[in-house]
Amino acid sequence: MNRTLDFQDLRKKAIQALDNRVRIITAGLGLNELRAVMRGDAPTEKPNPRYKVHTTSFLFHIRPRYYEKGSTIFAHTFRLGFFTSFFFFVELLTGLILMIYYTPSPAEAYDSILNLMSNVPFGKMLRDIHRLGAEGMVIFTVLHMLRTFLTGSYKKERSFTWLTGVVLLGVTLLLSFSGYLLPWDQLAYWAVTIGTSMAEAAPLFGNEANLLLRGAPDIGAGGLLRFYLLHVVLLPLAAILVISIHYYKVSREHGISLPASMEEGDVPAEVKKNARQRIDFIPDLFTHEVFLVSLGLFAMVAGVTLLGYSAPLETIANPQVTPLDTKAPWYFWWLQGMLKLGDKSLMGIILPTILVLLLVGVPYIDRNPYRSLYKRPFAVGIGILSVLVLVVLSYMGLPQYGIQTPAATRIIQDLVPEEGVGPLRGVPYEQLSAGIYEVGESVPRDLCPSLDFGCPDLTAVFREFSERVNFAATQEDLQPFERLPDAQAVMVIEDWQTDLKKITLRINWNDVITGDAKSYEKHIFLHRERVHE
Amino acid sequence: MNRIQIEISLGVIFILLTGGIILWYGINEEDRMAEFTRGQAASAIEVGAALYETNCKDCHGPQGEGVPGLCPPLNDKYFFTERVDEVGWSGTIEDYIVATVSSGRLTSTRPDRYAGQGRPAMPPWAESYGGPLREDQIRNIAAFIMNWQATAPDRSQEPVMAGPPVGTDITVELPEGNPALGEGLATTKGCAGCHISQAIGPGWAASGSVPGVGARAETRYSAADYTGQATSAQQYLLESIVNPNAYVVEGYAANLMPQNYGETLTAQEAADLIAYMLSLK
Repeated sequence: MNRTLDFQDLRKKAIQALDNRVRIITAGLGLNELRAVMRGDAPTEKPNPRYKVHTTSFLFHIRPRYYEKGSTIFAHTFRLGFFTSFFFFVELLTGLILMIYYTPSPAEAYDSILNLMSNVPFGKMLRDIHRLGAEGMVIFTVLHMLRTFLTGSYKKERSFTWLTGVVLLGVTLLLSFSGYLLPWDQLAYWAVTIGTSMAEAAPLFGNEANLLLRGAPDIGAGGLLRFYLLHVVLLPLAAILVISIHYYKVSREHGISLPASMEEGDVPAEVKKNARQRIDFIPDLFTHEVFLVSLGLFAMVAGVTLLGYSAPLETIANPQVTPLDTKAPWYFWWLQGMLKLGDKSLMGIILPTILVLLLVGVPYIDRNPYRSLYKRPFAVGIGILSVLVLVVLSYMGLPQYGIQTPAATRIIQDLVPEEGVGPLRGVPYEQLSAGIYEVGESVPRDLCPSLDFGCPDLTAVFREFSERVNFAATQEDLQPFERLPDAQAVMVIEDWQTDLKKITLRINWNDVITGDAKSYEKHIFLHRERVHE
Repeated sequence: MNRIQIEISLGVIFILLTGGIILWYGINEEDRMAEFTRGQAASAIEVGAALYETNCKDCHGPQGEGVPGLCPPLNDKYFFTERVDEVGWSGTIEDYIVATVSSGRLTSTRPDRYAGQGRPAMPPWAESYGGPLREDQIRNIAAFIMNWQATAPDRSQEPVMAGPPVGTDITVELPEGNPALGEGLATTKGCAGCHISQAIGPGWAASGSVPGVGARAETRYSAADYTGQATSAQQYLLESIVNPNAYVVEGYAANLMPQNYGETLTAQEAADLIAYMLSLK
């Protein structure tokens, strides 16, 4: 007698086995439960299996079971802290892969970046994402801090969390800054030279601090290795530790603050109750976070591809050549601005230290118990004022502000900057028609009538050159360094080699004060296949 | 749809879009990498051209045409096709350029034709050999020199001299000199490299309190420490050109200057040069 196969029974057993396997992987959620989670349905079993995950799984154990409804309002947090940690994880992952291709030595570092760009599939994308993530992390850290300040969330039981936040701000800036040096290009080398020279201004131990950072009087092999180890070992470890403490305080101790409008003063009982309503981590917050991650990844990938964000790479570091316009990374422009205002020790070390101490002391200085914007006009006023001051100082930190570059140097530097493309290098190679073009009263409509389609871009650059020279030559009410009396200027384009042109820009003038004949010129070489970034 | 479903749907769309972008990016990766490599080669040539201009052109000529008697041309067919075999170099011509620029030359391999600056004939340029340039800069210079290969002219014929050489007898009667022609000869015959652009030999032009070479020649042959045979400014200058070791100006080493100008200059050329030098007071 043949036993008939009981398919119903087999199916049941198979589903049972699968269900068990899934429960092991998901730390307690069965198939039906997963389905309900995805659909946003109520739990299918009792007790609620979604809570069990938080005890059985480590990764969910460190997340809270629920948030209070009021604290999940988008316009209250803007998910700034979430995205800061999102960027941190992006940096960890991309950074690990980038480390495979990188050698921290002055002889190899720049070449390893070129190799990454020319020889590693997705190498450029990884580098761009890593750089974009670094900028994002700095921006979101600052915004997160500003939000916390404006909603008064640093008060009372959250004051220690604020302190860890200030430490994290410092760690984030240092992480970004230490990564700045690693490509070993001119941008990196000089930005870090400026940055570390501030350590020199420290009273008593300035010289030692500088030596400790740079490994030698000037940045070289020792300095690069130190910054590399800071960037890939010490600072990430510090960040992981402090982020853990910071997050533990938020998730386990005091939670995210409720908006002051739902908590303080005469708030109807039902609003208060509604604000404290629990929103479970699974499924609501978890899906929300997965959604934010997919949004973040999309934004970053679109940023480095469709929007064309690209990590800068200048020419290889050259300690012998100081670029005309050196500047610190943008988040330190305010410091550069302060340095222009006074003594290096006072402005570069003592005042910034006082600022950091004030930032740390915010919860202890501000004894006002209220969190609502309207009930602490003084604190909010100081906050807004500080932001404005930082913006103004940052503007003053730009190389264009307060530095007197002689007119001839400035004009030629603006047309052919030492680094990057600039107007003249941006002219298509075909338009660079050899010739001697003298600056006169008027600019011809087209510089090279012999070319089939003329040279509109070259003519535009030459027009700018002419106008600026003529302006500096004729305006007598400018400051002496901005004037070029009796200026004669010329642009020479020569065929130099196969696919290579030499361009000379020269300005001759008489010195305003002494009347001596002066001259400034610059030669550049342009190859047909140069890459326009 | 509730919020969770909307977020799941949107999230899926974002992930798909991201995947699509990465796929599209990946398809173009080969081309992008090839373009970057080409661009890198182009910028190596640009950087090399600028380095050549500041470091090499005084001896090897602005366009690599070389200076007769001093430094060999780097832009002719012979250099790219036969030089490697002649010196028995086993690598490529580009490696040969890098090696030569890095370590320089203690003595010239063709002292009769290109004596160089004496000893060393060519100074070392790499930092590791005591020179001023980094390894990557030397590779850029080599890339620039290699870019002459496509247009390298054939100069296998020796340049024909316009007349008999002037010889080393300084009492010879020279024809009337033309200072304007002499100025041109100063660059084509290689004088400018050491006496005008750089101060490897005594500078010709007047600078500060030191007068020009013309004024110095007027008094030099009658000075007490003078060791040569000249009895006039003209003879002194001719002696310095064709027999440079007869008297070496204080502060400069003997043998720095090529010894063979007596064989490569015609009497007319020597007269033009001397006329030009005498005009520099």
